[in-house]
Amino acid sequence: MGGTLALRSCLAVVGLVLLWGCGAQAVQFEVSARTTKCIAEEIQNNVVVIADYKIVHSDESHTITVKVTSPYGNQLHYQENVKSGQFAFTTSETGNFMACFWMLNAPATAVANVALDWKTGVHAKDWASIAKKDKLDGMELELRKLEEAVNSIHSEMLYLREREAEMRNLNELTNSRVAWFGIMSLLVCLGVAGWQLWHLKSFFERKKLL
Amino acid sequence: MVAMAPGSRRQWWIFLAVLVLVGLGCVDRGKALMTTITHQECVYEEVDYEGDTVSGSFVVIDHGLAWADEPGVELVVTSPIGAKVIGITAKEGEKFEFVAHQRGMYKFCFNNPGPTPETISFYIHVGHIYGLMDLAKDEHLKPLNVNIARVREALAAVSGELIYLKARDRRHRITNESTQRRLISYTVGEYICLIGVSLGQVYLIRKLFDKRLGYNRV
Repeated sequence: MGGTLALRSCLAVVGLVLLWGCGAQAVQFEVSARTTKCIAEEIQNNVVVIADYKIVHSDESHTITVKVTSPYGNQLHYQENVKSGQFAFTTSETGNFMACFWMLNAPATAVANVALDWKTGVHAKDWASIAKKDKLDGMELELRKLEEAVNSIHSEMLYLREREAEMRNLNELTNSRVAWFGIMSLLVCLGVAGWQLWHLKSFFERKKLL
Repeated sequence: MVAMAPGSRRQWWIFLAVLVLVGLGCVDRGKALMTTITHQECVYEEVDYEGDTVSGSFVVIDHGLAWADEPGVELVVTSPIGAKVIGITAKEGEKFEFVAHQRGMYKFCFNNPGPTPETISFYIHVGHIYGLMDLAKDEHLKPLNVNIARVREALAAVSGELIYLKARDRRHRITNESTQRRLISYTVGEYICLIGVSLGQVYLIRKLFDKRLGYNRV
C-alpha cells in the first residue's frame, strides 16, 4: 500500500511538473544590429506578468539589451548586453506594456534570434505549489486549471462589454455633436453675413455714399 | 477523481503516460502581442507535433491618419521545409487556421507594402489534442483525459476569438476617438476661418473705398 502511494505521488509530481512547465513554447524573432524590436501587450491592472528571454542561436557571441516599460513610461526592467534573463512584475496600471530589444556595439550585419516567453495572468500562476498546498492530484488540477481559464475568459468578456459601452457613449456623443455643430455653423454663417451687411451699410452712410 | 484500481503495475505506467500526455497538451498561452512593422517583421513559432492545428489572428491598429487608402498588411506563413502555407492580405485584420503537416519551426512574416509604419496586434496558438490515435490502440487509456484535452482546446478557441475581438475593439476605439477629435478641431477651425475671412473682407472693402474716396477728393 505504501509503495503504491509513493508511486502514485511520484507520478502526480511528474505530471504536475509537466503541467506547470507547460507554456515553455516561446515566440521567436530576429534582432538585427541597426534596429530595435519592440513587442507590446495591453494588460489590465493588477495582473502578474512573468517573462524570460534568451538568444536561441546566433553566429557569434552576440548580446542584446532589454528594456521593459510601463504605459506611463516607468522602467520596469533594464539589462545591458546579456544573453538571457527574466523578469516578473505585477502591473499597477492598465495599458500597453512594452519590451524592447536591441544590440549595442555590434557589427552592422549581426543578427540574433531571440526567444521571448511572455506569460500573464492565469498562465503565470505557480500550479505546482498550489497543487501541493491543496493536495490536488492530476485530474483535479486539470479541472482547476480549466476553471481558472473559464473565469479569466468571463472577466475578459465583462471588460469587453464595458469598453463597448464606453464606445457606444462616445459614438452617440459624436453623433449629437455633429448635429449641433452643423446648426451652429449655419447660424455663425448667417450671423457673420448679417454683421457684414450692417457694418458696411453704416460705413457707407457715414461716408455719404448711400 | 482518478478511479484506478491500485493493483496492476501496468495500469500505473499507463496512468503515467496519460499524465505526461495531458501535461504536453497545454492550456492556451493567451497572449496577443503588438509590434510595429516598417517593411517586414517575422515571428517564429515551434510546432512540436505533426497534425497540430495552428490558429491565430492579426489586426491592423489604425493610426487615425487622414488617408483612408491603406494597402493593408500581408501575412505569409512558411513551413519548416520552405513551402508557403498561407498568404493573407488584410486591411483591418483577419483570423487564420491551418493544419501543420510537418513539425518544426514555422515562420510568420508580416509585410507592409505601404510607406508608413503600421502597428499590428497578432496572436498565434498551436493546439494539440493528443491521444485520439492512442485511444483506439489501448483500451486502458481513459477517454476522460482525451475529453479534458478537447475541452481545453475548445477553451483555447474561445480565448482566441476573444483576443481577436479585443484587438478589433481597440482599433475601432482609436478610430472613434480620432473622429471625435477631428470633429472638434475642424469645427473650431471652420468658425475661426469664417469669422477671420469676413473680417478680412470688411477691412478690404473699407480700404478700397477709402482709397477711392481719397482719389475722388483730389
